[in-house]
Amino acid sequence: MSTRITIAVLVVSMATLVAGRSPAADDPAVLKDLTAVIALQGQPCGQVVTATKQGDNDYIAACKDGSRYRVFVNAEGRVVVQKQ
Amino acid sequence: MTIGNCAGAMTVAILALLSQAGDGRREPSRPAGSAAVSENTRPEPIPAKEVEPQRTVTTEPPRQKPQPAAPATPRPPAAAPKPPAVAAGPPASRQNEPPRAEPVPQQSPPLEKSQAPPESTPPPSTETASPPETAAPQPAKQTAATLDLTTLEQRLRDTKAIGVFTKLSLKNQVDDLLAEFREFHQKRDQTMLGRLRQAFDLLVLKVLSLLQDGDPTLARDVSSSREALWNILIDPNKFQEL
Repeated sequence: MSTRITIAVLVVSMATLVAGRSPAADDPAVLKDLTAVIALQGQPCGQVVTATKQGDNDYIAACKDGSRYRVFVNAEGRVVVQKQ
Repeated sequence: MTIGNCAGAMTVAILALLSQAGDGRREPSRPAGSAAVSENTRPEPIPAKEVEPQRTVTTEPPRQKPQPAAPATPRPPAAAPKPPAVAAGPPASRQNEPPRAEPVPQQSPPLEKSQAPPESTPPPSTETASPPETAAPQPAKQTAATLDLTTLEQRLRDTKAIGVFTKLSLKNQVDDLLAEFREFHQKRDQTMLGRLRQAFDLLVLKVLSLLQDGDPTLARDVSSSREALWNILIDPNKFQEL
């Protein structure tokens, strides 16, 4: 029984870890899109290397130069880039 | 004695007549063109070894030349003196020299004729080839320049070269620019035109930079229709129809 419980705990923990990672973090299309948006807004970034999805149309982007931005769509339908 | 004297006188007279007759035969053959031939022969004391190869060279071309040069009427008289010259073997220098002058004019006309047709034919080919070349690019330019705002907007929506966030951000900036144009047309302030043009160019550059890698066709169309779009935006009537 103890071994079964241990295996079940491991499976659940691994599934949680995999599910917890942002699906957009490794998507190059999203990274490129965020890079373009930040550049369009005139913010210094260079290139977005990682992105964490906070919600629907809401991302935290980490740039190559170390800066971080929150990119989201506000209630008016406008894309907003906020420096973190 | 008288008979001997008469016989001697007769022989002398016959010899004189024969000599005169021989001189008379030579003289008629000369006027056919011997005057110029003799002048040419004098300055050129060509050795016999050099003359012989020239004979072979000159005799072959004249046979070929008369065939293409059929319309040339003055050539037969030039060829006429040849047979008598050939028949009279001794004046070999006279035979060689006339052919020298003949080959040059006879060869040059065929060359000119042969060169002329190719020269005449290429111009039509170039003329015929040039219209399609000029006609082909024109439709492409026209289609690229006839992009209106509706078509441009639809193509920007459909392209996959720009992400969703970027499209939305571009739409926001386009809306902002249109609001500024609306204000420009309401106030009729011409001082705003320079700033609007700068903002318009900057936005077009942004779009081009986003499209140039993923959708170069659309980028080219946007670039070619830039002035048309600007003319629509600054025209109050056209702007009202947007």
